[in-house]
Amino acid sequence: MRNWLLWVLALIWLPAHAHKPSDSYLFLKVEESRIEGRWDMALRDLEAAVGLDADGDGNITWAEVRASHGAIEAYALANLAVTTSAGACPLSAGEHLIEEHTDGAYAVMMMSGTCAGPPTRIDVRYGLLFEIDAQHRGLLRVEGLGPVRNAIFTAEARDLAFDASVASGAAQFGAFVRDGVKHIAIGLDHILFLVALLLPAVLVRVEGRWRPTASLPRTLLNVGGIVTAFTVAHSITLTAAALQWVQVPSRLVESLIAASVVLTALDNLFPFLPRRRWIVAFTFGLLHGFGFASVLLDLGLPRETLALSLLGFNVGVEVGQLLLVLLLIPLAHALRRTTAYPRYAVGVGSAAIALAATGWMVERAFGMAFMPF
Amino acid sequence: MKRLAAAALAAAAFSSGAAPFVPASDSVVLERLAVRRDDPFSREAVGLREQLRQEPRNAAVAVRLAGLHVERARADGDPRHWGRAQAVLSPWWKEKDPPPAVLLARAQIRQSQHEFPAAIEDLGTLLRHEPANAQAWLTLATVQLVTGDAAASGASCERLAPLTLPLVASACRASVAGARGDAAGGQRQLATALAASRPVPAGIQAWALGLAAELAERAGDASGAEAAYRRALSLDPGDAYNMAAFADFLIDAGRPREALAIITGDRLSEGLQLRRVIALRATGAPAAQDETRRLRERFAAARARGDRVHLREEARFVLEVERDAPRALALALENWQVQKEPADARVALEAAAAAGERNGAAEVARWARQSRLEGRAVRDALGKLGA
Repeated sequence: MRNWLLWVLALIWLPAHAHKPSDSYLFLKVEESRIEGRWDMALRDLEAAVGLDADGDGNITWAEVRASHGAIEAYALANLAVTTSAGACPLSAGEHLIEEHTDGAYAVMMMSGTCAGPPTRIDVRYGLLFEIDAQHRGLLRVEGLGPVRNAIFTAEARDLAFDASVASGAAQFGAFVRDGVKHIAIGLDHILFLVALLLPAVLVRVEGRWRPTASLPRTLLNVGGIVTAFTVAHSITLTAAALQWVQVPSRLVESLIAASVVLTALDNLFPFLPRRRWIVAFTFGLLHGFGFASVLLDLGLPRETLALSLLGFNVGVEVGQLLLVLLLIPLAHALRRTTAYPRYAVGVGSAAIALAATGWMVERAFGMAFMPF
Repeated sequence: MKRLAAAALAAAAFSSGAAPFVPASDSVVLERLAVRRDDPFSREAVGLREQLRQEPRNAAVAVRLAGLHVERARADGDPRHWGRAQAVLSPWWKEKDPPPAVLLARAQIRQSQHEFPAAIEDLGTLLRHEPANAQAWLTLATVQLVTGDAAASGASCERLAPLTLPLVASACRASVAGARGDAAGGQRQLATALAASRPVPAGIQAWALGLAAELAERAGDASGAEAAYRRALSLDPGDAYNMAAFADFLIDAGRPREALAIITGDRLSEGLQLRRVIALRATGAPAAQDETRRLRERFAAARARGDRVHLREEARFVLEVERDAPRALALALENWQVQKEPADARVALEAAAAAGERNGAAEVARWARQSRLEGRAVRDALGKLGA
């Protein structure tokens, strides 16, 4: 009865697995002069290498794996050598665990070792399983020496070296800031949205007619509110989408972004959106954040520095946006009392923006390509 | 505390599962092996391995052992056996002119890794030594067709014809006809051969029937295609290729429930899992989400190890399930550099159409027109691209 129950439990417990070529996952972390490691090796591969299924019934039990821990340690450690700038760092095995990967259960072997001093470079030599499976790969991840790095051992590439001096976290952050600025600079839809939002910021509508604002502080308050609302909104959706908490189809988002530009520009001509512009900026800002996220995801977010990269990209977007405000607002403020400003800058400008954005909207919604820009 | 450290080490790592753990008891079964030690395959493999230990350069023994792994790789769809077969042949792997039997096995393994030019070279070398090797001509014809060289494939079929069963020769020629825009002609030819053929092994019959079904489908004969698919699968129910092709047929026909019913097996290949996910989503089944995630993880795992073998399936997954047409197009074009079969053209053209990139797959569109590629899906995609 008890055996029967265990067997049923095992059936439930074993998830549906898929086939996959042979991989092992090796993780090394350098901390001062210590190296901590973890190595996941497929039970099916270890069966071929050291023989786990002692009773030959085709089922590998935890008891059989436990009985083989010594053999697994000997086999694995004979096929891994870590040397550092501070001399050899022999690793020894610690706790043994089990982990599930897409193709089945893996033996997890924890390792640690002490070097003569804190290393600035490590050399890893890997030789697991190649004699049994020529397409075996060792997927290595190294932490604690500069940025986290991934590398692959193959039968042809059994030696890999890492040192601390390549691309620091700060450089990576800087790269994402630049990407953010660049995206605003070349993202005509975001620029035109901001322009449409900000053009009337130096004016007030009195009885259906535009009048210049009385003072600079009044304008700055206006602009500050709009820009802050836009920033908060797009940061929320950018973060949510970049961390993949939510997924929105990119075609829909891109079409709606174009629509938001059309509506904002039209509102300058025939007001129908809320009078408080920061509400408009916030609502549509949520959409634009999804747009930023798809760019960021295309750039490929390094998982280990996710938060840093996300922050960097967002900072870049803000910087780009701020540059645009600094360019636009002083000019608008200076021209606000001219008759041409409301008529041409706001009127004709908004109409042109609405027209261009309508083109994008149609293009994006129906998957066509006719716009020259 | 230590457990916590393990979890932390894993958190950012490449693992797909949860934190590692200590199983609840000694009797927990962690893994079931596909072949037990007392299986005939295992016994023969152990014997051959022992023989190889004594004579490491005995090519005949090595080829026999590699052949066992190739059979297993095909029967179970387990790619580990391709790697094991290659390891057995490692003393000859880099040799320019190894023994002929090694060349054939090496070509088949390279074909499985989508190293088509290297496979063609091996087969060429082998056929210079053994111009009457039927298996080599058939493999060569197949690889040439996969790489989009229908003319060379046709020539290989002619060299094969006098060396093999009439049905095999007809199937070889019919494949080429299908790739040159004459699916109906290929189908007729194959139907005649199938009707006339003396008893042949069920596997060959099923292969020819599956081919006949594909050609009928492309020629617009849906009922003929369905009947041929069903006969092929009744002869060889585990044939993953025919299963996938018939599932596509049913999905295209708006019959996802029936597609689910014909996809069977314990460990589905990426290709079959993809059809299952597409069909599950079409029926709105609750299992769809979980299976989609699992397939996404499989593609990620393949990518992490640098594999390029499933690009066709991944492109279709990204197009139809993830609905990210630009990324699907990039994958499909990457795949097109390696494989040029109708299914490869189809996914590239559909991705370009969905991405609104009229010239996104210009080379593929040109190829499709030149080879007069048939089938409704391809026609529709070409129409959308204005080509």
